[in-house]
Amino acid sequence: MPLIASTAILRCMHEWALAEAVIEAARAAMGARPPSCLRSVTVTMGELQAIDQEIFEFALSTMLQETALSAARFVLQTELAEFQCRACARSWGLHDATGITDETREAIHFLPEAAHAFVRCPACGSPDYMVSKGRGVSIKSIDVADTASCV
Amino acid sequence: MIDPRESVIVKRLASVDRVVGFFSAKGGVGKTMTTALAGCALAARGKRVGILDLDMQGASMHIVLGAPHGLPAEDKGILPVRVAADLTLMSAALFSGERAMALRGEEISHAMRELLAVTQWGRLDYLLFDMPPGIGEEVLDCALLVPRIEAVMVSTPSVLSLSVVERLIGVLAETHIAIPGMIATMTRGDAQAVRTFARKVGVAFCGEIPFESNLEKAIGFPDRLVASDSARALLSALGTMGMSGGTT
Repeated sequence: MPLIASTAILRCMHEWALAEAVIEAARAAMGARPPSCLRSVTVTMGELQAIDQEIFEFALSTMLQETALSAARFVLQTELAEFQCRACARSWGLHDATGITDETREAIHFLPEAAHAFVRCPACGSPDYMVSKGRGVSIKSIDVADTASCV
Repeated sequence: MIDPRESVIVKRLASVDRVVGFFSAKGGVGKTMTTALAGCALAARGKRVGILDLDMQGASMHIVLGAPHGLPAEDKGILPVRVAADLTLMSAALFSGERAMALRGEEISHAMRELLAVTQWGRLDYLLFDMPPGIGEEVLDCALLVPRIEAVMVSTPSVLSLSVVERLIGVLAETHIAIPGMIATMTRGDAQAVRTFARKVGVAFCGEIPFESNLEKAIGFPDRLVASDSARALLSALGTMGMSGGTT
């Protein structure tokens, strides 16, 4: 695929909206502290949402350059998805989940709660389960330098 | 853990002039139909309107508006689907299809935050929320996440509906959600009960939508919804709340 076309596709993926949310959250967490004091942000990406890490990193780095947080570093970690049945207490992972096709995987990518429309407990068939781990994008930690050392 | 989605929701709605939810804690009083009629009628009069179906467990707006099948498109987020010239829709049902999503409280809240954070509405005159029955996550999250939302109250003249609406109005006041007015739905010459109730609770009574037996046949067809007597009656009520569609 030509570079220009592939870049255009990268730029329209829905990962951008979540990357923007991460940057806005980091900016909000800085409060009144100088933006240059933001050292790093550790982001957890839940396996269930299946965020494309390459696109997500590209979106983060591109948008970051437009902010005063440009010295910050993003650390991305993937968390495996875990489901837990409320009816029979069975726990299972995404690899054991039935009912996920290419189309339903895309729906879950956009809205992880859509999993509840397709996935059932592999032990008892119950629709009453929780996604106990690895749902979507969240910020695990934000590392900020002392103001005296970064201004 | 920090939920980053909360930080971007205000930004997503920055290009929306007014965010208006159609609330009623009682089910079956016509919230979805009233929201759909409002969206179709305002859009037909040249306003740019979006509708967000927040009834996660009983989503039906996509049926009322005849939304196309298939997943929404992406553009640095998710684009709402177009159902008429100036009317777009976002709903969890666009992802779950006609399969039930059995969600508990926190999961409903997650779904709502996700849709608010990733939907790229663009420039809108009105973003309308179709609220579910009850006084739960969706109502409380509106107060937390969309503080400038206005709550239009919807009720039939039944005392069963009005009594629950009164409790909802109390929670809306406690969470500082503004109420521009109240609309009586499915009336059969008995709207006075809602008018009297509105006066008692200090909410402006804005009009009524009489019961229309043929409205069911307009479901799935925005143009037929616009042409209904209900849409005309609703436009008059919305006008008293400053939601004017101008002229066709």
